[in-house]
Amino acid sequence: MTIRRDQTAGLVLDAQLHLLDRQVLDRDGVPVSTVDDVEVGGIRPGEPVDPAAPPPVITDLLVGTEIATRIFGGRPPASRRMPISWRLVSDVGTVVRLGVAGDSLDAGWVERWVSEHIIARIPGGRHDPE
Amino acid sequence: MILSDLIGAQVADAEGTHVGTVVDVRFVIDGNPGQLLADARLAGLLVSPHGRSSTWGYERSGATGPWPIAQWLRWLHRGLFLVHWEDVSMVDVGRVALRAGYERHDAALGPRTSDG
Amino acid sequence: MKRIFAVALGILTAIGGFVDIGDLVTNAVVGSRFGLGLVWVVLVGVVGICLYANMAGRVAAVSGRATFEIIRERLGPRAGFANLAASFLINLLTLTAEIGGVALALQLASGVDPMLWVPLAAFGVWIVVWRAKFDLLENVTGMLGLTLIVFAVALFLLSPDWGSLAGQALAPTVPSSESVATYWFYAVALFGAAMTPYEVFFFSSGAIEEGWKRKDLMTERLNVFVGFPLGGLLSIAIAGCAAVVLLPEAISVTSLSQVVLPVAQAGGTVALSFAIVGILAATFGAALETTLSSGYTLAQYFGWSWGKFRRPARAARFHLSMIVCIVVGVLILFTGVDPIAVTEYSVVFSAVALPLTYLPILLVANDREYMGTEVNGRGANALGVVYLVIILIAALAAIPLLILTGAGA
Repeated sequence: MTIRRDQTAGLVLDAQLHLLDRQVLDRDGVPVSTVDDVEVGGIRPGEPVDPAAPPPVITDLLVGTEIATRIFGGRPPASRRMPISWRLVSDVGTVVRLGVAGDSLDAGWVERWVSEHIIARIPGGRHDPE
Repeated sequence: MILSDLIGAQVADAEGTHVGTVVDVRFVIDGNPGQLLADARLAGLLVSPHGRSSTWGYERSGATGPWPIAQWLRWLHRGLFLVHWEDVSMVDVGRVALRAGYERHDAALGPRTSDG
Repeated sequence: MKRIFAVALGILTAIGGFVDIGDLVTNAVVGSRFGLGLVWVVLVGVVGICLYANMAGRVAAVSGRATFEIIRERLGPRAGFANLAASFLINLLTLTAEIGGVALALQLASGVDPMLWVPLAAFGVWIVVWRAKFDLLENVTGMLGLTLIVFAVALFLLSPDWGSLAGQALAPTVPSSESVATYWFYAVALFGAAMTPYEVFFFSSGAIEEGWKRKDLMTERLNVFVGFPLGGLLSIAIAGCAAVVLLPEAISVTSLSQVVLPVAQAGGTVALSFAIVGILAATFGAALETTLSSGYTLAQYFGWSWGKFRRPARAARFHLSMIVCIVVGVLILFTGVDPIAVTEYSVVFSAVALPLTYLPILLVANDREYMGTEVNGRGANALGVVYLVIILIAALAAIPLLILTGAGA
């Protein structure tokens, strides 16, 4: 069997190598999460692939609860997933950059909760270090 | 479907013969244009006949350092190939089937360097 | 003065690694039992930590990624988590010991029971982590820690038989009173103390805190090649003082007052006060280093916002995790555990955890996607692989030696 060489335009992304476990930064460079898993749309498990259908695409980066199942196994219920839509991604390099502020994401709620309910209530929590 | 269901899947050809394990999934950012980036289209699956998990892509990138670790990892994935999505007939959790007459493509990646 | 402050990060990192509370005592123990027969291990350790920290610092400056982000990215969630669990536990044990060490140093200065100093020491560490700017904390603790040079001065004042000291160092033998296993146990402990992973977590994250970029690589190298050799020198000086004063009298070291005994003998009260200031700064600096490292490792693994350049409310989980660590450390100390014994175990465990922390950095330092043209050269890679082998051997030998010798007893 011959091995063929491909030519493609566009950035090539090997998911395990270039996407999974990389840091996600928001528009202002603030860390949001790591890429804990990736949701691919357009694959129907167990059904024949229709050659005429458009190819599957990345729909979301998954953050938060996915990490536990990747460490310990099992599958998280789809309802518990915290997705960041691929449409918000502005760049993929050694980090994944988003085009929006982290505060606007549902996925940032834990950080916001700790900040508002604990850290901001301790004197000096809202001030720059001196 | 999530990626971790796909990575590690066992791959069989149309006759049901085992040909390897999915160690990575290749996307190309050249689909329908979005607000910021184009869609990341699933271009194909990287199948390794020997290794069971991806080990940093030495077999794809041409990186040679540090000796002898890079050489050893490259050897671990000898025979790694890319199958195009068009050659995939069925995907299930942990299991992938290929079409009859599927083609094995070279998995090499172009150079990626930091521009910072 | 500005030049000295430019290398403050390297000095503080090295002091926290080489002369924190556990090492102060371990160095003196080693000197009083083996003379200078283990100096070669410190030298091997200094070269190793220079190599390792220089790679981690270069990766941080060029790619903007700190060490535990790299560990997660290369090792993936499972092996990365195993590493996190081990590194975090070692950090927490060391942090506990350092808070206890600050209390012991304050006891040495004041005579007041260390238990009364523990809450104050812990609060001091927290308030600095919470409110002080990064460069302030590294400059003050780094500079005050330099007063430990008094140990080197004391060694000269003791006017020892240099020929005999050189003989011990150059032709190491196992003293007849010690077993071969004990000798190698202390060799692994000294190597582990020199190459503690938290030094590298702190140094690479500190590089980000200071905003180092590709143009700062010269500063980064200067920090590595001034800081760590200096730390090694201080650790040899402490062992040397013990070898000259304590070895001949067969005094076995169990407390800080015995560590400083040679200094007091050589230079009187003035030298002693320098030593106490230095020990206080070194233990306090090490407490800051390990507290911040706990926060850095957790935040970088999980992708949380971190850094002292942000106000605490903008790095909330990072600050919360450090508060929890300090509280847990204080609770452990209140059980009455001996802080010095705690660090002796933690350096041995850091030797065990080291391979999984070292390998990802070695790989990424060769990755052009991260490093562009600043990848390792052939020399750095050759040395890097040699050290990978040394680190693996030390990691495999650590636990058996610990059990075999009953922790060097």
